[in-house]
Amino acid sequence: MSGHSEDPVAEESKRFFTFFNLSMALVAITGLEIVIIYVQTLDGSTIIGTLFATSIVKFIGVVWWFMHLRWDKIVNTVLFLLGLVIALGTYFAVIYMADTHPEISKFEVSAIKDVWKASQKYEKDDYVVHDGTYFVANLKHESPDTFSESIDGSGDAWTKIEQNKVPHQFSWVVSHGDLIEINSQKDGLSFFKRVLDTEQEDISGEKVYLLDQEASTEDFRIKARSESYWTETVQRP
Amino acid sequence: MSDAHALEHHEPVTSTGVPNKKILMWAFLGSDCMFFGTLISTHLIYRKISATVNGNYLDIRDIFDIELTSFSTFILLASSLFMALAVSAIHKGNLSSTRWMLLGTIIFGSIFLACQVYEFTHFVHGKENASGDLEHQLTLSSYAGKSDEPGRDAELKPHVFGSTFFVLTGTHGTHVAIGVFWLLGWLVYSFTGRMSKADAMDIECCGLYWHFVDIVWIIIFPVVYLMEYAF
Repeated sequence: MSGHSEDPVAEESKRFFTFFNLSMALVAITGLEIVIIYVQTLDGSTIIGTLFATSIVKFIGVVWWFMHLRWDKIVNTVLFLLGLVIALGTYFAVIYMADTHPEISKFEVSAIKDVWKASQKYEKDDYVVHDGTYFVANLKHESPDTFSESIDGSGDAWTKIEQNKVPHQFSWVVSHGDLIEINSQKDGLSFFKRVLDTEQEDISGEKVYLLDQEASTEDFRIKARSESYWTETVQRP
Repeated sequence: MSDAHALEHHEPVTSTGVPNKKILMWAFLGSDCMFFGTLISTHLIYRKISATVNGNYLDIRDIFDIELTSFSTFILLASSLFMALAVSAIHKGNLSSTRWMLLGTIIFGSIFLACQVYEFTHFVHGKENASGDLEHQLTLSSYAGKSDEPGRDAELKPHVFGSTFFVLTGTHGTHVAIGVFWLLGWLVYSFTGRMSKADAMDIECCGLYWHFVDIVWIIIFPVVYLMEYAF
């Protein structure tokens, strides 16, 4: 704060050089920031640290000299700092509350090729292939000696699945999320399933879907969402 | 000019020792800090949620034109010098110099705005690729349009980066536009023959607003633009 005795006109004249020098310093610091980004020799965290430091310096420079806090009463600084501190508090609170990206630790898709066997225990909804045709078990049973007996004997032990459909085992493990979707990336294979639509943690799932053609894990994309964060198996370029 | 000089020469005495207009402006700027604080925080949290095009993430660096943004940053910094000199000139009673400095600030502020309009237009419309198709478009989040995924009619396009980016930089641009109109008002007023040293506090408040807009950009430029090149 300046005293009352000083001539305001002379005071303002002296400040011209302060303003000019500050302006040149701001331009130089901004230039430095751009050079750091262009050169790309420093690692990410060093760049962020440097940008943070230069921004603080420029911020203080403008507030202190251009906005006259250097010469004004402390009440102006306090008022401004009050808003600034609340703004920073908001930032840290939001960062603390923010969710994180879900992690997809496992995602596998494979065609089921278990051949039917005699004297084998089968559970309900087990899939088998017999003579090139897929069947699904309708009930828990132990298979007899021949497959035809299995159908004719119990009557409803197996159901032949739709022609040209191939059962695939889908399995996934996701850290957390409120939505998981799986969709086909393969030309000519239309597939989209939402396998989770409520918030959960430590998610693991297995399900069999009938597809129009044989496919593998690479032909699908799994997307997991937690609030606004999306993760998917397709890698960022 | 210090608060003491302002009170001594032009402004009524207050219990705080600071002119009321100035204390009001600082209180407003403090509240505006909170406003921009929330917008910047939101952008930093959601900046990694970018759009996907045909299953691939949109690289924001393909959209940004960092040369243009750097240029507009220098322009805004330079406008702050003009503003400081305008305030200094009116305190000294130098009307002619005040006019020129106000005009300089208005021109530089307008150039900044023009750069932002150009930038927004190109971001929304995208860039042409080698085959002449438009790509690298940055838009807001939308729950409409054809899905990239087979079997789905529509989906929520997660252009969250676009939403937070346009809201943050657009709000800042609006502040700049308000500042330009405010300065324009003072420039026109200066030709009415009624402007004097008594208006110094009003122009200083206008200057405080302009410098605030500058410091907000000082944060936005590295946080929103440059940081995308760091990781």
